[in-house]
Amino acid sequence: MIAFTSPYLWYSTRATGLVALVLFTVVVCLGTFVSNRVGGTSVGRFELNELHRSVSMVAVAFLVVHIVTTVVDSYVPTGWLSTVVPMTSSYKRVDVAIGAVAFDLILAVWASSLMKTRMANTSWRFIHSFSWLAFVAALAHGILTGTDGRSGIGLAVIVSCAGAVLVTALWRFFKRPTRALGRTALSPLAPHDATKTVATTTTAPNTTRPFPRGSKQRDRTRR
Amino acid sequence: MSRRIDHFVLKVDPILCDGFGHCHELAPELVHVDEWGYPIINEQPTSSSDLALLKSAKLAVRGCPRQALRIERNSDPT
Amino acid sequence: MHAASGRPLSLREHDETFGTTTVGALLRELDASGLLGRGGASFATAKKVELLRSQRGHHKVVVVNAMEGEPVGHKDRTLLSSNPHLVLDGAQYLATLIGARRIDVCVSRKDSAIVHHVQRALHERELRKSGPAFVLHTPPWRYVAGEESALVHWLNDNETMPQYRPRRPHVLHVGRSPALVVNAETSAHVGLIGRFGADWFRELGTPLSPGSTLVSITGAVYRPTVHEVPLGTTLRSILADAGADPDPQAILLGGYGGAWLSGEHQDVAYCNEALHPFGASVGAGIIVVVPRSACGIAETQRIVAWMANESSRQCGPCAFGLPALAQDLSTVLRGSRDPRAVLERLKERCAVIDGRGACRHPDGVVRLVQSALEVFKDDVEGHVNGSPCEGVTSTRHWVAVPALERESELVWE
Repeated sequence: MIAFTSPYLWYSTRATGLVALVLFTVVVCLGTFVSNRVGGTSVGRFELNELHRSVSMVAVAFLVVHIVTTVVDSYVPTGWLSTVVPMTSSYKRVDVAIGAVAFDLILAVWASSLMKTRMANTSWRFIHSFSWLAFVAALAHGILTGTDGRSGIGLAVIVSCAGAVLVTALWRFFKRPTRALGRTALSPLAPHDATKTVATTTTAPNTTRPFPRGSKQRDRTRR
Repeated sequence: MSRRIDHFVLKVDPILCDGFGHCHELAPELVHVDEWGYPIINEQPTSSSDLALLKSAKLAVRGCPRQALRIERNSDPT
Repeated sequence: MHAASGRPLSLREHDETFGTTTVGALLRELDASGLLGRGGASFATAKKVELLRSQRGHHKVVVVNAMEGEPVGHKDRTLLSSNPHLVLDGAQYLATLIGARRIDVCVSRKDSAIVHHVQRALHERELRKSGPAFVLHTPPWRYVAGEESALVHWLNDNETMPQYRPRRPHVLHVGRSPALVVNAETSAHVGLIGRFGADWFRELGTPLSPGSTLVSITGAVYRPTVHEVPLGTTLRSILADAGADPDPQAILLGGYGGAWLSGEHQDVAYCNEALHPFGASVGAGIIVVVPRSACGIAETQRIVAWMANESSRQCGPCAFGLPALAQDLSTVLRGSRDPRAVLERLKERCAVIDGRGACRHPDGVVRLVQSALEVFKDDVEGHVNGSPCEGVTSTRHWVAVPALERESELVWE
């Protein structure tokens, strides 16, 4: 391979890496909004879903540029293989490996989403749950690998992203939709339609589980 | 000579459905929502020549987070 | 006659050429008998058999459903305690008809005595070493465990939860094998038809509902037990045989997912065609007599609350809707600020919940509630107007409803 380097490649790698991290933060937050049934009154739920899909495409685009500029730059001897296979880089083996793990997971999530209609929904959701792991790996990669991760704006960005996703994850876990809420923002008996309500929500739930129980049969029925 | 009119109807798998409500937002003429957030789907077949409704239905099928919707087509001779 | 290749006819070719007389004759008898399923749906057994015969695949199975999900139903249990071999005979005939190699007998594990009886019977048949293999299964008892798709789901995935079956007729599969699911009592009737023929079977009953059927009579009766009655007998005489209250307020027919019949109509013939105009049906052969001293709405509320707890909670309208119905009925009984609005809301909810589950569980509850609002109309008016019936304070309950279990204690596996 022709030795090719330029400081602009290095700046691109760092910049696109940070931007990709920020975009993935937005993607994770949006995805969590969809799962937690945000919206229905001022913003459509399907809009958040579509936004989640669109932003993820942009995030992956930035990620690809980040990877390409790293590999093409001969100043850092990484090589194409190390983008997907961990521990094969000659430069910062572990740090790049963590990035490779993040990229692999993102590839899996992305590929499964492209094939969503051709696979069982529960399998798709299982793979999709790897996105949390991918984010943590991306975060670790950012902190360990980048010179930006140690100080200044870079560190501020990384910490903010980490904070945002942590808060989102906690909110997702503690505020997931439960039976007792009963009514959703979309229902005809939503709070703004108070003339139709007879009493406050007192429907005794027949379950303490978040939502109707999943069944292993769920995806067989799609046949 | 009889003309064939294609009809379609939206069908939901109630076990897969988790009451996200995206279908109601994307195809409000075809899907209403009950007080618990679950879809009440119009069971009357709609003519497939109503392209706007067919488009809404397809968007609803694509937009369902649990892939619980399906478009069922049948053609009946007039 | 031999095949063009010069070799002798194989067994399959032989059967295809000459037919097997036993199967042909049996099929004709079953068809002529007009036997309707006794599990609750009253689907023609011959039609079910035809459907299974048309399925490709050699490894078919017969599933004998003796789960008896209805708490006040005892007919299948009684049948298996007194004459299990009749049920097994029928299963064997059905296996011959569809070409099944295995018969899965399903009895709920909570009836250890019945399980023991069936085990003994199966062991006796095993010693004879002929016919298809019988396998005994003991799924957990749930109301929906008796639903055929839930039973098959348990056999496949160890969960007694109903499946979504949008295209009817739909053939269930145990693994890759097409399955004929048949109620234990239906199987027993097949056993008798196989021995004595369709004409014998048709001697009792009506042209549309031939034969005899088992009924479980409970409630305000002196002899709460299982009786065998010819279909078409008047309900009054069936009740009289059980020593029932001669002037009941209402009778619950079919099961918890059935319908109420006003006591004044007890001269109706006990068969589907006569009961349909009243919104009722034979169902699983359940008859519960409720006297005038009782509060029909209170009885209904207890049933609905239990049925809500027995939902498999797979579908929103059932998981949310049934507890809401129970709550509304309870509010109507207790009294509230605006009882008429609660009643209206109850009716609206019934209309909204109906038909939106994967199985017929919510539909049955809605049918029960709607029939209660109709049959106990005067009582409902009384409750709504602030003058409830005296039955509501009574602690005596006539429809036996099991205790509510906590959700975490419900066993579905």
